[in-house]
Amino acid sequence: MDNKSFVRGYQNVLRSPSGPARWADDLTPITVSDWSYDFAAHLIERAGFGGTPEEIARLAAMTPERAVAYLVDYKSVPNDHLEPFDASGVWDPGLRDFPLSRVAATRRAERTGEALGVQVKPEGERRLQPVVDRFFYWLRATLLETRRLANWWADRMVATAHPLEEKMALFWHGHFATGEEKVRDYRKMEQQLALLHRQATGNFRELLIEVARGPAMLVYLDAGQNVKGAPNENFAREVMELFTMGVGHYSEADIREAARAFTGWIDDDLAFKVDPAKHDDAPKTFLGRTGNFDGVDILRIILEQKVTAEYISAKLYRYFVREDISPAMQARLGAALRDNDYEIAPLLRTIFLSRDFYSEPSFGTRIKGPIELVVSTYRKLGARHLPGIPDLYVVSRELGQILLNPPTVAGWAQGRAWITPGQLLARGNFARDVLFPDILNFTDPNFNPGAEIRRVNDRILAGMDIREATIERGPGEGGMEGGDMTMANVIAGAEDFNTRYGSLVGFQEAVRKIKPIPRAAAQFDLSLAVVSAGAKTAADAVDHLTIRLLRVPVDAEVRSALIAFLEKQLGTGDLDRAASYSERPLRLTAHLIMSTPEFQLC
Amino acid sequence: MARFSSIGGLARRDLLRAGFGSVILGATGLGRSPFFSQAAAAPAAKPGRILVVVELSGGNDGLNTVVPYGDDAYYKARPKIGIRPDKLRKLDDHFGFQNTMSGMERLYKDGHLAIVHGVGYDQPSFSHFASMAYWQTAAPNRGELYGWVGRMADAMDPEGHNNYVVNIDTQQSLAVRSRGHVPLVFDDPTKFVRSGFADEASPLKLLAARGHGANEAQEFMYGVSRSALQAEQLVRDAWAQYRTPVDYGLVRFGLERVAALIAADFPTKIYYVAYRNNAFDTHVYQADVHARLWTYTSDHIAAFVKDVARLGRADDVVLMAFSEFGRRVQENTSQGTDHGTAGPAFVIGAPVKGGQYGKVPSLTELKQGNLVYTTDYRRIYATAIQGWMGYEDPSSILRGEFDPLPIV
Repeated sequence: MDNKSFVRGYQNVLRSPSGPARWADDLTPITVSDWSYDFAAHLIERAGFGGTPEEIARLAAMTPERAVAYLVDYKSVPNDHLEPFDASGVWDPGLRDFPLSRVAATRRAERTGEALGVQVKPEGERRLQPVVDRFFYWLRATLLETRRLANWWADRMVATAHPLEEKMALFWHGHFATGEEKVRDYRKMEQQLALLHRQATGNFRELLIEVARGPAMLVYLDAGQNVKGAPNENFAREVMELFTMGVGHYSEADIREAARAFTGWIDDDLAFKVDPAKHDDAPKTFLGRTGNFDGVDILRIILEQKVTAEYISAKLYRYFVREDISPAMQARLGAALRDNDYEIAPLLRTIFLSRDFYSEPSFGTRIKGPIELVVSTYRKLGARHLPGIPDLYVVSRELGQILLNPPTVAGWAQGRAWITPGQLLARGNFARDVLFPDILNFTDPNFNPGAEIRRVNDRILAGMDIREATIERGPGEGGMEGGDMTMANVIAGAEDFNTRYGSLVGFQEAVRKIKPIPRAAAQFDLSLAVVSAGAKTAADAVDHLTIRLLRVPVDAEVRSALIAFLEKQLGTGDLDRAASYSERPLRLTAHLIMSTPEFQLC
Repeated sequence: MARFSSIGGLARRDLLRAGFGSVILGATGLGRSPFFSQAAAAPAAKPGRILVVVELSGGNDGLNTVVPYGDDAYYKARPKIGIRPDKLRKLDDHFGFQNTMSGMERLYKDGHLAIVHGVGYDQPSFSHFASMAYWQTAAPNRGELYGWVGRMADAMDPEGHNNYVVNIDTQQSLAVRSRGHVPLVFDDPTKFVRSGFADEASPLKLLAARGHGANEAQEFMYGVSRSALQAEQLVRDAWAQYRTPVDYGLVRFGLERVAALIAADFPTKIYYVAYRNNAFDTHVYQADVHARLWTYTSDHIAAFVKDVARLGRADDVVLMAFSEFGRRVQENTSQGTDHGTAGPAFVIGAPVKGGQYGKVPSLTELKQGNLVYTTDYRRIYATAIQGWMGYEDPSSILRGEFDPLPIV
């Protein structure tokens, strides 16, 4: 199927015909006679992050079984062009067992003469300063390295030949949510991310057990605070409420008993360990069973419950298909997952081949989450890599989804929760930043320590001594209680160390070590794309861009407005005549298309 | 001397440098320009009463907020994290605020702050998400599609006027989800702008203003799009024109933006803001963190009340603050506290009859180590709906009879 022919056939293609409405809830596989360019486009959008017309046409030329296998059985597809994460090397063994707060760090230093692998000065001013500097160094270094890790991952999503692997890793990240803000160690996040990739379409049982024992999750859910005689329920509660069964399928007593079974679970830097002294190995009663259960036993009992397979299947269904899942569908998919011993791939294969997946209620009804939006935008424009401008972290923050830093352990609310009036504007602005990156005004957010530390830096550079340089002058008369501000200054400039100065020094040392993110804009060529597709007129170009970018058709009024706009920008309706300067007008048109509500849907 | 309000440390010139505060149209028309919405929302009718709801997420430890220093049982249960009387701002012979809550102490002493003790509900949930959802829907232990604020808006304004409800957040809260209203939801007013080039202005407006979608998801998107279109310029102008000498503290979770909209005479009746991301979930080494959280919260709320008075709207604005549950009476072994049940709620403002309401829950007659609630949270909602906003039938919104408290 040659995509040139689609440019002519506007009426057929831009209706994005789905399967009929009566196909809803029907798990019967579609047949090759059902297969089409639109079905292939729908599949690659949902099972991945969308594709160019060429990529879609390639899938459309296969049978549906082969197309689904191509996406699901990705291990047989070469992916060697991807580079492993290139760490900056900011960690060293002195940073093991990093204290929970600056107060804890300085207390340890006062008591023992050293902390964080750094010694207290024997004499002189601010004897504890080296420890404080180091404390802030690590906070900043791990934060920045995590941003680099997020960039690396998002770049992978754009460049990979295994889009389903990345889409599933993203799903698991939202499901087994942990955030570096609390974990405070990019290595643990990297370790967990590798696990999510390894078991992306693997086995849920193995994935659950490894995630629960992974240092990132242990830290995130305070597992180390869970000890014999004083169980901390956080870990047990979230495992059951969010990761496996959902509220209502266990009692508070079950949580308390499960917490006992998880006691003694700790992270030994990057390894899992059970501390026998802290582990409660007496009998527990959990979900009706009694025994000397340990944490893994608890997980296995949870997996034996019917509700667990249904909960996971339903969540996968809502992620890939649509929000509303009927109880019958939930039961069937749950049974399928259980019958396959919690293997994910067969379940996905069933879903992606089903009539339900291609039915009318499943087409064009899903709101793309921010990371999906970003990645699919780059892929559809033909960019081979994630650009450094606009900055991914800044974009993520504005659109409301920051990789490796979900808001809470519940991950991100999906669907309509992504869209507010503010969010809709932000998405249109993101599109503008991709098509017209403002390189002139770009400043690297990773080099911005915030206004307070900037002020300290300026004063130190101007020759002020540390004490003078670090006093914050508050809002003064008419502002808040002067007393509180003064307290903050006193604390910051305490005799044995100065926290504001430590913040500055730590920040500087971290940015010295961190490898910089390359700041190139996305490389793509819209004029080449539309001309290669056979477009001769402004109308052809608009049709091609619409097919390329949207999964939902636009109405005739919008199409006319877009064509009129492009013709005005080109100064002609003849694309050939405008060939030498058409890139900018085409990008403006693409911005309009990407600002539509339709662009948020897939 | 007029001072400029700022967000997160950015001075005003940084806002302008960010490009969203002014109109720049060069000869080539390639400047960046904010777009003017076609028809501004109907100008505000006679300004009336406003309700501001503040959600403190994470399960605030009530016992270390309104500290019962007069009760020995408190210190017995909290040998490490119990706050000593000399470290408290005493409210009376029995209770005190944390030392960092200077703003709220002053409000209490001025008679503008009401504390409601022991707020909770039957069969309390210990899950952040479930319990917060129950607070947001006023439907404990039930599924409910719309939020209590959404239902209040639908009841009080059946025509569904624009901007009746404003939610300062990056995501729409369940509390404001409504059948007939599209709540105005935004976070950073300087980013609440559809940036583009001059030539794009007209088609962008056209694309944003269309009618009917082919399915529910599209319908939803168009509704949101129209809301953004009509509100965009208003919000940005309100923020750009806003000047205040009041310092909103180190963590500004939205009340300064509310004040800006009030100053601009927005027609909004209900504002919903939150201290987000389970910030108050202090399982571990609670003392410093909790003290800081309340510095920020007390400073921010007190600043808002002060600013509203400066705007001459002190008699029109009431604020309520709550958390989805309190925490266990006994401290845990990590010098923190675990999820609990009842906790104090606050109703604040010049129209408020300050003081203490509700029966103080016992620290010794517990249920599995947790406080037994004494006031159903829906009574506070009824107080807001009927006592303050003057809607006579709160039971239709709350799906049950709940007596307002005599706070307003």
